Amino acid sequence: MNDLTVVGIAQLAVSRPPSRLACLGLGSCVAIILYDPVVKLGGIVHVLLPKAPNHYDQAEKYADTGTKKLVDEMIKEGAIKARIFARLVGGAEMFKAVNLAISNIGRDNIFEARKVLHQNSIRIMAEETAGKRGRSVYFDLDIGKVTVQTAFGGEKII
Amino acid sequence: MAEDKERKVLGIISEFANIGAGSAATALSHLLDVDLMNDVTTCEILPLSKVADWLGGGNQIVAGTYTYLCGELKSGILVVLPQDSAVSLLNHLTKAEIDLSSLTELQKSALREVGNICLCWYLIAVSRMIDIDMIPAPPDATVDYLGAVLNVPLATLGAKVDTVIAVHTSFKALDRQFDGYFLMLPEESTLNIILERMGEHCK
Repeated sequence: MNDLTVVGIAQLAVSRPPSRLACLGLGSCVAIILYDPVVKLGGIVHVLLPKAPNHYDQAEKYADTGTKKLVDEMIKEGAIKARIFARLVGGAEMFKAVNLAISNIGRDNIFEARKVLHQNSIRIMAEETAGKRGRSVYFDLDIGKVTVQTAFGGEKII
Repeated sequence: MAEDKERKVLGIISEFANIGAGSAATALSHLLDVDLMNDVTTCEILPLSKVADWLGGGNQIVAGTYTYLCGELKSGILVVLPQDSAVSLLNHLTKAEIDLSSLTELQKSALREVGNICLCWYLIAVSRMIDIDMIPAPPDATVDYLGAVLNVPLATLGAKVDTVIAVHTSFKALDRQFDGYFLMLPEESTLNIILERMGEHCK
């Protein structure tokens, strides 16, 4: 469990092996995970809301600006856009009955993240999104493995 | 001066929270049909981002019931029960072995009802005290990572709310200790109304 960096809400991290990145307890939040397998550079941004308003405080808080910033950071650190691929985790709908009155933020988060990735021509390799369960995600930068856990022991590698 | 004011606000809010928690505990004791000893109630005012740490980390599994007020006052409300407390409560209510990972519809409904009754009686007590009606939307309950449960109020209210009135209450019943957390996430205007009304009440 050494070198595990927890990426909190509205935070962004770009790193190389042997460090590992994690987002704990994703509900309607989405973790956008990018990886360049050739230089073994990986990054996560943990976004809370879908769209940034005109005067936003933190780019990392929103799916549209956060994803864009993560792509820029990856390239600045030496990744090449054509080699980067993406994985998306999160965007669940935790309280369905209450959400009837509000909009489904989880779904909107995923939608915005996909849109920005598409604009940047970045492939989405896998998704572990939507549904009703919260998730925790661990990203091993050495082999680019992403492990997704749900409450009560469900584990999946994407 | 600022510290003085902060202490005064915390005093007012503690009074508010204590009366609410007492009322919720009484209701719960009726529901469970057992005597219930209220042990300690502590109250804190926290920024939204610190709540997960206060509750002991985002990666633990909890039972959460969430709703929001839709009347004159605007606030999110979250009742959080730690895993073991939730299991004991459900066990007593449904007289069945409880596995939180695969709750039946009846057990889910019981969980929702426990949260609903606690939060409604809390609201009834505090709304009498400040003499403003509080109207909660129908709540929903889930069992999941604490971080994931907290995501919902963060995302829906995050832009307007930064203060959380966090109450921890522990009580004895059925030969064991229970813990419960009651989080109120008022919009700033609502918090001001509460403080104003409670200020009058305290005089």
